[in-house]
Amino acid sequence: MASFTASSVSFSAVSCSFKQNKVSSLGKASLSFSGNGSPSRRLPALRFRVSCAAKPETVNKVVDIVRKQLALPADRDVSGESKFATLGADSLDTVEIVMGLEEEFGISVEEESAQSITTVQDAADLIEKLLEKK
Amino acid sequence: MASTMKYVRVPPNSASLAEARQRVFEFFKTACRSIPSIMEIYTLDDVTSPSQLRSVISSEIRKNAHITNPKVIDMLLFKGTEELCNIVEHSKQRHHILGQYVLNREDRTHDIGNKDQGASDFLKSFYKSNY
Repeated sequence: MASFTASSVSFSAVSCSFKQNKVSSLGKASLSFSGNGSPSRRLPALRFRVSCAAKPETVNKVVDIVRKQLALPADRDVSGESKFATLGADSLDTVEIVMGLEEEFGISVEEESAQSITTVQDAADLIEKLLEKK
Repeated sequence: MASTMKYVRVPPNSASLAEARQRVFEFFKTACRSIPSIMEIYTLDDVTSPSQLRSVISSEIRKNAHITNPKVIDMLLFKGTEELCNIVEHSKQRHHILGQYVLNREDRTHDIGNKDQGASDFLKSFYKSNY
């Protein structure tokens, strides 16, 4: 148990230092890294970091795939916060978009995670999380 | 992958429409995940792409999107799973796949135009299905 936490602490240390190179999550990454005391405090900090960190190019790729899948014209604004339902996707479209993302990024999304995806930002965050785990 | 497909069964009855919906999504995901092996088995790399096959599968599912009876949905899922198993275990041949899923997807329903105005409904839905 102690060795497991030690290894995951080192993992978060590596990825935090990587994230500090990115402008968007600069302040938040340093915050979560400094909170590294006991293991019980580390876990909330880890979750905090994951929820805000999605690289812009990942979001752009997701937006591209969504646009192609739903055949949206170029003037229709798709951002990180747009929900799939407002873009005119029904549930099968959402599943299809998730499968397209699985293929594009080479990841595999489980059932529970797939249910919780409602916006483009959710999808990008989930992709980031799965890419880090690999 | 082919051997794991053999054990994908549809259990007898969905209790509700919601459960049938979940089964449909499961089936769709299984089908999409077996697309790479299908493309390899039948060497479809030149004629189509995985995303096109995905949209073909979703359009086939959408054709029956108006069904509300869970038992009918179960039956359709059974037939879909059977078809998917046949394809994955190479019981079909390349021309079957091409004819049914790859070629001529667009011009089945748009060829009515002006010349078939007097034709009966039977002929108009001739390409769609038997019934």
